[in-house]
Amino acid sequence: MFRFINMRRCSAPYGVRQLAAAFPAEKPCLIEIRDLKISYGDTDALRGVNCSIDGGSVGLLGPNGAGKSTLLKALLGFVRVNSGTVSMFGMAMPKHALDVRRRLGYMPEREIVKPKESAVSFLTYCGCLSGMNRIDAMERAHEVLNYVGVDENRYRKMETYSTGMCQRVKFAQALIHDPQLLLLDEPTSGLDPEGRIEMLELIAELGRKRGITILLSTHLLPDVEHVCDRVIMISKGRIAVDGPIDELMIAREGCIEIRVRDNEKGFLDALVSRGFSWRRLQTGTINLTVPVSTPARAIFEIARNCGTQVRHFRAVHQSLEEVFINAISDRNGAEKSPGEQTAVEPELSTAN
Amino acid sequence: MPIYHQTYRSFDGTVRTTGRWWAVVTHEFRVLAKSRPFLLMFLMGYPQVLLRVLQIVAVDTLASNKNNQITQMVQSVMSLKITEGMFFDFIRLQAPIVFLATILAGAGMICDDLRHNLMDVYFSKAITWRDYVVGKLMTLIIIGMIFTAVPAMFLLLLHNLLAPSMQTIHDTYWLPVPILAFSTLLVVPCALGVLASSALFSSERYSAIGVFMVLFADLIIGQSMHRANPQLVVLAFPLALNRVGEELFFVRRPMVPISWEASIVFTVVVCLAAFWAICRKVKRAEVAT
Repeated sequence: MFRFINMRRCSAPYGVRQLAAAFPAEKPCLIEIRDLKISYGDTDALRGVNCSIDGGSVGLLGPNGAGKSTLLKALLGFVRVNSGTVSMFGMAMPKHALDVRRRLGYMPEREIVKPKESAVSFLTYCGCLSGMNRIDAMERAHEVLNYVGVDENRYRKMETYSTGMCQRVKFAQALIHDPQLLLLDEPTSGLDPEGRIEMLELIAELGRKRGITILLSTHLLPDVEHVCDRVIMISKGRIAVDGPIDELMIAREGCIEIRVRDNEKGFLDALVSRGFSWRRLQTGTINLTVPVSTPARAIFEIARNCGTQVRHFRAVHQSLEEVFINAISDRNGAEKSPGEQTAVEPELSTAN
Repeated sequence: MPIYHQTYRSFDGTVRTTGRWWAVVTHEFRVLAKSRPFLLMFLMGYPQVLLRVLQIVAVDTLASNKNNQITQMVQSVMSLKITEGMFFDFIRLQAPIVFLATILAGAGMICDDLRHNLMDVYFSKAITWRDYVVGKLMTLIIIGMIFTAVPAMFLLLLHNLLAPSMQTIHDTYWLPVPILAFSTLLVVPCALGVLASSALFSSERYSAIGVFMVLFADLIIGQSMHRANPQLVVLAFPLALNRVGEELFFVRRPMVPISWEASIVFTVVVCLAAFWAICRKVKRAEVAT
């Protein structure tokens, strides 16, 4: 990032320090969270979250009550932080909350509506709150309403809108000031299948073509698969999994997807006799479970012996759902780990 | 390319970073301008102004003609004279209109935003809770001033224009100060009270009913306390405000025998309590700033 330096005002010679300030070695992370802890009364919502996001589309996954919405609210400065630090665009929150908010758009989960106002009026107001003058705000309101697909209904009062339309308006208000970062909390909730696909396409386009960083909080795994290239899974206030989706959906050991032609029955019987087990999927593809230490070459040998032609052969990958379930179950297991139990026991014994 | 096929475009305009509360004020006025009940209330606030204009025109033009027989009659009627008392009475009589207009405009200001989850949206933009509160409060204060200080200043100007003499200027040069002070004293507690009610209740109706109930209860308590101790009539809020107004305009016919200092203290306490309630409720939605 280039920073302009007024040479005439520099009293010292233009040395190494000034150059370092003018050309910083590394760009600050868009979001950097360190040991973030938030609690509501006695309930811990976030228990030491650490993560950094530096562009791209990131899915925030977790079961209900995992702490996804709390994390988003912490980024916006809507909740009081017990401990830890949050910095966005290289600026510490909540000290630079206004500067940060100028650069981010937020689509809340809860239904928002201004019953007696039209979408245009509401969005214009949102634009004015973002610091635009009224003419710019109105022009921009029409642009984003066009983009999200709210047609002539934009002039109707919002109390007459369907859930899907309210959802679109909610998305449009997050875009009104052209943010660099979008925080989307359950953006597809309440949408019909067609509307959901349209919404996901819009979000994906913003992320991939427009370079807007997206943090998508949801509990719908297909939404994340559709839009994101990285996923953060939260469970019980802690990050359970964090990584690129491609890397998380690794090949499952000993599982092969196969499609064959000619003497299929003989081929499957031969496989079973060699210790394989199989399951036919609805698509006609067969999922094979290969016995331990059996090379894949053995399958082709069996097929040749049976006179069967192998048309499709691929390792079965773990689905995001499986990654999610494993992460949640691992976290649940970790919650009841013996280490934690022994940590409590001395206190009890001391008390006794 | 048809407009509805346009894709996402970046915004390359400029944004302002100061006076963010003004966006709230202008929006509230746009909303109110479309509200028929409010426009009706606005019209109801001006018959008295019209009557006072007629009074000033009649007195000032007739007074200039000494030979007119009606002049002596007009000058003998005390209530028609253009004195500081007339301006005090004008603002005092506008108080019910200010109260109703403030309720009509402000009862749903905060509770509707809370009920429709709009705080999350507003505070995700570059405004602070202070901007929000100041914006809402200023809207109600401006509405109140439109019914009190603005027409009162207009009447004062009209009086000076129709009776241009050093005597008129001498008699009225100090009046803008009490006009502004008394108007502020009427409008600010009213605005704060209605906004506090809007912050504490869950809907516009409950909020409006709440304000009426509190005012009604306050009057009853004040009047009943009056029998035990005359000074306790200060608890009747409208009477306390009137007492301060009398002092500001040097009107020596106190309606209630209470000290104006006590009235001011009570007014300030009420305002601070209402302001605390508003801030507490709004700040709960946004803790960062």
